[in-house]
Amino acid sequence: MKTANSVAHALPVDLTVEPILAWRSWTLTGRRDGEGLLLRPVTAGSRAWRPREIAQATCRLAWSHEAPNLDCSCGLHATREIETLRRTRCPAVLGRVALWGRVIEHELGYRARFAYPQRLRLICQFCFWQGHAAASTPDVVAWYARDLLVPMCVRHLGVAEANGMKPRRVFPAALVDLRLRETYAVDTLVVPA
Amino acid sequence: MDIGLPKRVIEIEPATLPVPEPAPILEPTVEPLPAEPEPAPVHAPEPEDAPTRETPA
Repeated sequence: MKTANSVAHALPVDLTVEPILAWRSWTLTGRRDGEGLLLRPVTAGSRAWRPREIAQATCRLAWSHEAPNLDCSCGLHATREIETLRRTRCPAVLGRVALWGRVIEHELGYRARFAYPQRLRLICQFCFWQGHAAASTPDVVAWYARDLLVPMCVRHLGVAEANGMKPRRVFPAALVDLRLRETYAVDTLVVPA
Repeated sequence: MDIGLPKRVIEIEPATLPVPEPAPILEPTVEPLPAEPEPAPVHAPEPEDAPTRETPA
């Protein structure tokens, strides 16, 4: 059985004081009135990222090691390039996150012990899957069961409704975007074209 | 999401944490009522000295 030390000794370890900035996406939940916004990992069952609190990684698979562990997939994930996030499931919010503590650098991204978002913006996940993030600006945020909030452009809202996914409420995306940034006390994310 | 194979480990101890301050808890400020002036102490009138009768010598 490999241990963290056995693998760690094979990889270089660097010490620094500057947090790493990387890309990340989340799903979004909120109450019926559009308040109580909460960023949640796209992986079901993972802990929410609470406003103004440091997100700290824990391992759900093994309680015997601290996250991130080299022999595990645990840790707070983020990517080096924004395009890598297009493979994620149901992204509603796109952002830049600061990573610190123990960070394991991978070929396409990172796994970190601590993180907090620095810049955020809502995206239409359907536009994001089809094209570039800069062209994924949503018009509305649809509120569904279990407090799930899904930002969408008008065109994809029409597609969703035509396929039986009629939201219970709809909020202006600009309003939710502003509330989200105020809630987490971060700046707006400008996606490079 | 596949992020590939691990390349290196970085131990980062930032000088300042990149996290905003906790939101201030706003409590309603209630102006304290102005203190009422204390009533002046009421002094009981001192009894007048009873006239002393001069005794004839």
